[in-house]
Amino acid sequence: MIRAFLIAASCAAAFLASPELRAESADDAIARGESLFAAHCGLCHFAGETGTFMLKRRLDAAQPALLAERTDLEKEYVETVVRQGLNSMPWFTRAQLTDAEMKAISAYLARPR
Amino acid sequence: MRLVPPKGHSPEDFNRAFADFAGVVGKEWVFATDLDRDTYRDVYQPSNEERHAPAGAVAPASVEEVQALLRLANERKVPLWPVSRGKNLGYGGAAPAMSGTIVLDLTRMNRILDIDERRGHCLLEPGVGFFQLYNHLRDSKIPLWLSIPANAWGSVIGNALDRGIGYTPYGENTAQLCGLEVALPSGDLVRTGMGAMAGSRAWQISKYGFGPAWDQMFAQSNFGVVTKAGMWLMPEPEATLSLSFQLPEREDIVWALELLADLRLRRVIDTSVTIGNYIRLVTMTTQRDEWYRGEGALPESVGAEIRRKLGIGWWNFTVSLFGYESVIEANARIVKDAFAGRRIPEIAEKRWRRGEPIENSAANIPTVYFLQVVNWWGGRGGHMGFSPTLPIDGEEAFRQFESTRRRYDEFGLDHYGGFTLAERSMTNVNMILYDRDDEDLTRRAHGLFQTLIDDAAKAGYGEYRTHLSYMDAVADTFDFNDHALWRLNETLKDAIDPNGILAPGKSGIWPKRYREARS
Repeated sequence: MIRAFLIAASCAAAFLASPELRAESADDAIARGESLFAAHCGLCHFAGETGTFMLKRRLDAAQPALLAERTDLEKEYVETVVRQGLNSMPWFTRAQLTDAEMKAISAYLARPR
Repeated sequence: MRLVPPKGHSPEDFNRAFADFAGVVGKEWVFATDLDRDTYRDVYQPSNEERHAPAGAVAPASVEEVQALLRLANERKVPLWPVSRGKNLGYGGAAPAMSGTIVLDLTRMNRILDIDERRGHCLLEPGVGFFQLYNHLRDSKIPLWLSIPANAWGSVIGNALDRGIGYTPYGENTAQLCGLEVALPSGDLVRTGMGAMAGSRAWQISKYGFGPAWDQMFAQSNFGVVTKAGMWLMPEPEATLSLSFQLPEREDIVWALELLADLRLRRVIDTSVTIGNYIRLVTMTTQRDEWYRGEGALPESVGAEIRRKLGIGWWNFTVSLFGYESVIEANARIVKDAFAGRRIPEIAEKRWRRGEPIENSAANIPTVYFLQVVNWWGGRGGHMGFSPTLPIDGEEAFRQFESTRRRYDEFGLDHYGGFTLAERSMTNVNMILYDRDDEDLTRRAHGLFQTLIDDAAKAGYGEYRTHLSYMDAVADTFDFNDHALWRLNETLKDAIDPNGILAPGKSGIWPKRYREARS
């Protein structure tokens, strides 16, 4: 009985350790968020683009205009802006960005540094 | 935004429809919360306006799902409004003409199905955007160039179907459509042109099939949902050459357009030349209150200061030439000779040769930089485009421009205006900028728009494209033989969509069941 249990536990551990089922690490999640940010947000929020231009106009000089360099963003704030827009920034539908993708992006922008 | 169904429907009808749709696409792709509805509103519409209120949205991933949704919409008699990517900003975005319509969002259908490098064409799904296709061509090192509009956030097919333009010799984007696949309102599937033959070898290379040509019947219309489209792409040229001009005085447009008309007609210039007034440039990088905080439209004295400080002309434009270096150098000499002796600043020249970074060429690369003009008045911003079509004629253009400018002055708005030259006609592009949270400014913007439609119609100028709120008004100006075109469109609409489920009100075409909703 105990031997069967140990065998089963060992198999379960091996199974859960497989790449397919291992929970995404925090670093992987942030990397995924960064990739999604580049694909969906970069057209406005990379250097030289309109979102960066508008933020530079609106924010005080101490705050970086490049969104990815901000250290004061909170996840909930990012998600609100994504779904409701902010000033001239339009919002994103769930077809464009699923809730999961949006959360990955907000996790990236709110990453601890 | 709460669900407000159209007349004749109940919320329960829609809830049953949403449940049916979820059975096709999966419930995660049916968007029916209040917040979802907000995300399908017109981005530039004031929050307190209830026009064009979506009932929600559904996002299919395949043609088969689109067909199934159309069949269900017929069973439930609920209206659907198809959008490719919903980025038609300035014209209504993803919002429907009729409040209570469900948006059929084709964003997920974003496959680049085929690219033929040898013959210069591609086959796309509607969700393919300009950035996506541009990146794919670049990353795959395929030497074909896109024709990219000023706002490149949208769909390649969607832009062509709404007759948007780019700035290469392939710049009349709708003319690059070659062969469509369309899901009709019944759910039936048809292919146009040579594609109507199964196994056709010419679907994306021959514009016309046999019998009536249908591609344009699905542009700016509500006769079907385009699920695939062929587009012609320009082979990468050997070189490009850009000549940038400034015209110092307002009246210079008269002689300049006469010169350009001839060069355009003879195809010395074979691209869409866009001549804009200085307001077009100043709104890109500054805000109004940096220049003027008084009442009314910007005075000419302020305009002079803007031009002096920014070093720009009253009018500014670039002639771009693409092709073999020897040919475009010869054409450039012809253009420069035409302008010789005119009192204008030196023409700036920029050359690009194959192998150099494409960003330095005359081709646009995808950007949304242009969108920051909406911040001109500050606040959350907004813009609408009013764009009648005129012959390329200097005197006529000046009269129209001045007439429009006086109307902008009357309404206290700054005149962002210009002309985009096709081969024989030109579009007089006027942008109306406003702050959508300023009720008075927004009211004046809409008042100006309607006035301009009326003025243009009296002068014989029809619009080429318009915002949702003005589709009925613009359709009304096409009044030959007591609105014969309207009757023709509605005859076809009633035959092809008897239940009236597809995009009621698009381009002023209403199905029988909703005809009383026409404004």
